[in-house]
Amino acid sequence: MPEITYREAIHDAMVEEMRRDESVFLIGEDIGSYGGAFGVSAGMLAEFGPQRIRETPISELAIVGAAAGAAMVGMKPIAELMFMDFVLLALEPLMNQAAKARYMFGGKATVPMVVRMPGGSGTGAAAQHSQSLESLLMHIPGIKVVAPSTAYDAKGLLLSAIRDPNPVCFVEHKLLYKVKGEVPEGEYTIPIGLAEIKHPGEDITVVTSGIMVQKSLAVAQKLSQEGISVEVLDLRTLRPMDNQAIITSVKKTGRLLVVHEAVQTGGWAGEVIATVSSSEAFDYLDAPMRRLAGKDVPIPYNRFLEAAAVPQEVDIEAEVRAIVSNKY
Amino acid sequence: MPIPFIMPKMDMDQEVVTITLWLKKEGDRIEKGEPVIEVETDKIASEIEAPESGILANILYHENEEAPVTKAVAYILQEGETAQDLPIPTSGIKPAIPEPAQAHTEDAGAKPAVSATPLAEKVLLKLNIPANQVPASGSKLTRKDVEAYIEKMQDQVAPRVHVAATPAARSLAEERGIALEDVIGSGPRQRVQAADILQISNQQASEHMVATKELMSTSVPMVGKRKRIAERLTTSYQSVPHIFLTVEVDMSRSEAARKRMNEVAEKNSQPAVSMTAYLVKVVAWALKRHPYLNAVLEGNSIQLLQNVHVGVATALEDGLIVPVIHDADLLPIQLINEKLRYLTRQARNGALTANEVTGGTFTISNLGMFGIKSFTAIINPPQSAILAVGGLMRKPVVIDDRDTIAVRPMLSLTLGADHRVVDGAVAASFLAELANALETPELVLY
Repeated sequence: MPEITYREAIHDAMVEEMRRDESVFLIGEDIGSYGGAFGVSAGMLAEFGPQRIRETPISELAIVGAAAGAAMVGMKPIAELMFMDFVLLALEPLMNQAAKARYMFGGKATVPMVVRMPGGSGTGAAAQHSQSLESLLMHIPGIKVVAPSTAYDAKGLLLSAIRDPNPVCFVEHKLLYKVKGEVPEGEYTIPIGLAEIKHPGEDITVVTSGIMVQKSLAVAQKLSQEGISVEVLDLRTLRPMDNQAIITSVKKTGRLLVVHEAVQTGGWAGEVIATVSSSEAFDYLDAPMRRLAGKDVPIPYNRFLEAAAVPQEVDIEAEVRAIVSNKY
Repeated sequence: MPIPFIMPKMDMDQEVVTITLWLKKEGDRIEKGEPVIEVETDKIASEIEAPESGILANILYHENEEAPVTKAVAYILQEGETAQDLPIPTSGIKPAIPEPAQAHTEDAGAKPAVSATPLAEKVLLKLNIPANQVPASGSKLTRKDVEAYIEKMQDQVAPRVHVAATPAARSLAEERGIALEDVIGSGPRQRVQAADILQISNQQASEHMVATKELMSTSVPMVGKRKRIAERLTTSYQSVPHIFLTVEVDMSRSEAARKRMNEVAEKNSQPAVSMTAYLVKVVAWALKRHPYLNAVLEGNSIQLLQNVHVGVATALEDGLIVPVIHDADLLPIQLINEKLRYLTRQARNGALTANEVTGGTFTISNLGMFGIKSFTAIINPPQSAILAVGGLMRKPVVIDDRDTIAVRPMLSLTLGADHRVVDGAVAASFLAELANALETPELVLY
C-alpha cells in the first residue's frame, strides 16, 4: 500500500470528491496559487479553476457564512481556515446559522458543509495560532467534530464529512501534515462517530485523538516491552463521541487516562470521564479516572515553554505508569 | 409502555385546568380523536380529545379537580398492557401516603405525641424510649415506627466505617463474598484494589481445595445404634450364605380387597390398612405353611418355630429398627395395622420397649414408598429369611396363554434366605405360595 502524508491524504480526498461531485468546492484564503497556508490545496486551482477553488478576502466570517449559504442551496462547500484560531471570527455563521438551520427548518434545509481547520501547537506560532478549540465546537448541538490522527483516517473521514448533510468541523493537526501513513488508492470512507483501537492492551485505556494518538502509541510501544499493556483508543470523531467503544475498553482494562492537547478546563476529557462514570464500566474501574491535558495557559511562543504547555510522550508515560502502579 | 394522556396547554400562560367531566371512565376503550374530558379554564370550556387509542386507565385527576397542563392526567393502555405496566407516579399526583408526622423537638412540654398502638407502647416502655421522640408514619405510632427509629439510632451510634476501595474491588468483593473491612489495600492510602480481592479470593480457594482433599465429608462416629447395625449386618452378610429369589406378583385382587377393607375402615373411622400391614398378614399365613422360612439356626440344629413373629424394618433418622408384630398369623389385618402404626410411632419417638423389638422370626423390609422397583435385603440374624418389598408399579404384563397384554399393579418381592437352612426349592415354593395368596387373597381364608 502506498505511503503518503496526512497532507496528501486530505488533498487527495478533496480532489477525488471534487472530480466525482460537481457540487463540491473549496473556499478560503490563499488556497489558489499559494496552495493554502499548509500547502494542502497545492495544484487544485490548475485542475478545477477559480470557480471551484474560490479565494476570499481575509474574512473568516465571509468564508464560513458563504459556505453555509451555499450548502443550504445545494452545494457541498469545503471551507478552509488558515488556523483553527480564526474560527472564532466565524462562530456566528457556524454556531448560530449552520448548526441550527436543519433543526429550525424541520429538516427542510440541510447544511452539508465542511470547515477544515489546522489546530494545535508545536510550530512556534504563539498563543493566537496554536490553540485546540475542539471543545468549543463540540459544545454546539448540530455540529460534528472530526479530528483524524493518521493519513488513512484523514482521507476516509474527510470523504464522509463532505458527504454528510450536517456541518462538520474537520480539525487537522499542523504537526501531522508531514506524517506519513499507508493509504490505499481510490475511494473509501470511514463512518463519522466510530472510534478505533489503535493499539490493543489490557492494563489501561488511553482515550485520545489527533496528534496525541501518535504520542500515546509511542508510549504504548515503549511500555509493552516492560509488560505494561496500554490500549490506545483513537476517538477519531469527537462529536458524536463513540461512547460504547470507550465503555467497552474501560470494562476490559479497568483504568482510564484521557489525553488531549486542548487545555484541561472545559476540555472533552471531562466528557469521556463522565460517560464512563455513569456507565456500567464504573464497576470495573480499579483506579481513579485521570486526564492529561494542556496547561490552563495560552500557548507560549518560547519553544521550551510551548512544549511544556501540552502533553508530551514523557508526560503520558509518567501518567500511565502512575495509574497502573497505583501511585497517583 | 402505556401512553400518558397529557393535558394540553391551551394558553401561553395557563398552568392548570379544571376537569368538569370525564366522558369516559377507567377501563373504557377510547379512540384517537374522540372527546374524553370536558375542561374549563378561566376563559373557555372545551373538550379534550384522546391523543391515542387504547384503554383508559389510572385517572389521576377527578371531576372538579384542577389538573396541571402538559402533565399526564391519565394513561392509555395499549394492547396487552395492564395496570402493572403503569409508571410509578412521581409528580402531579396527590400523595397517596400520609405525610410523615413532624420531626420531634426537644421541647417535650409543647409536643403532644400521637397516640401509640398498645404493642408500640409496650416496646417503648421496655426500651425506655420516650414516645414523643419516635416519628409516626401514620395517625398512630406503630411497632414498625419504633423499629425504624431504633434502627436509625443504631446507625447513628455506630457509623459505618468507610473503606476506600476502587469500584472494581467493591464489585469483586461483593461477588466473592469478601468483607472489604478485612482487607488491607495495596493502593494509595490503603485503598483496596481489585488485585487485593483476587489475591484473597485465590488464597481462600486454594485453602478450600486443600481442605476438601483432606476431608471430603462430615464425620459421623460409629457408635451406639449405628455400630450395632454395622456389626450385626456384617456378621450376617459374611457368615450367612444368602440366596435371593425374586417374584413379580399381580396385586389387582389384593389391592381390590384392601380397597374394600379401607372403605369399611373409613366408615368406622379407623385408619386405612397399609400395604405393609396387608403383607404382614399374608406373609404370616404363608410362613405357617413353610416352617423352614420361620426358623433359626442354633449350633448344629435348625429350630422350626411354632410362633410367627413378623418384624417390620423401620427407617429412623439415625438408623434402622425392626419392631415386631408378635403372632401375626393369629391377628386380623385391622389389628396388625393398628399395632404397626403404634410401633412405627413409638420407633420414631425412640420409645419402643425391648419386648417390642425382640423375638422376630422373619422380617419384611418395604422400600416401595421410595419408588424402589426391587432390591435385596440382608437377613436379620438369627432369622433365616427376609422379604424385600419393592414398589407397586402399574405395568403391562401378559395375563393369559393367548399373549393378551394388560396393565396390572405389579409388586416385586425378593426373598433373601439362609442357604444353610433353606434350599432354593424350599424358598421358591414359599415365594410361590405367597405370590399365589396375594393374587388370590381368598386363599388366606383357607
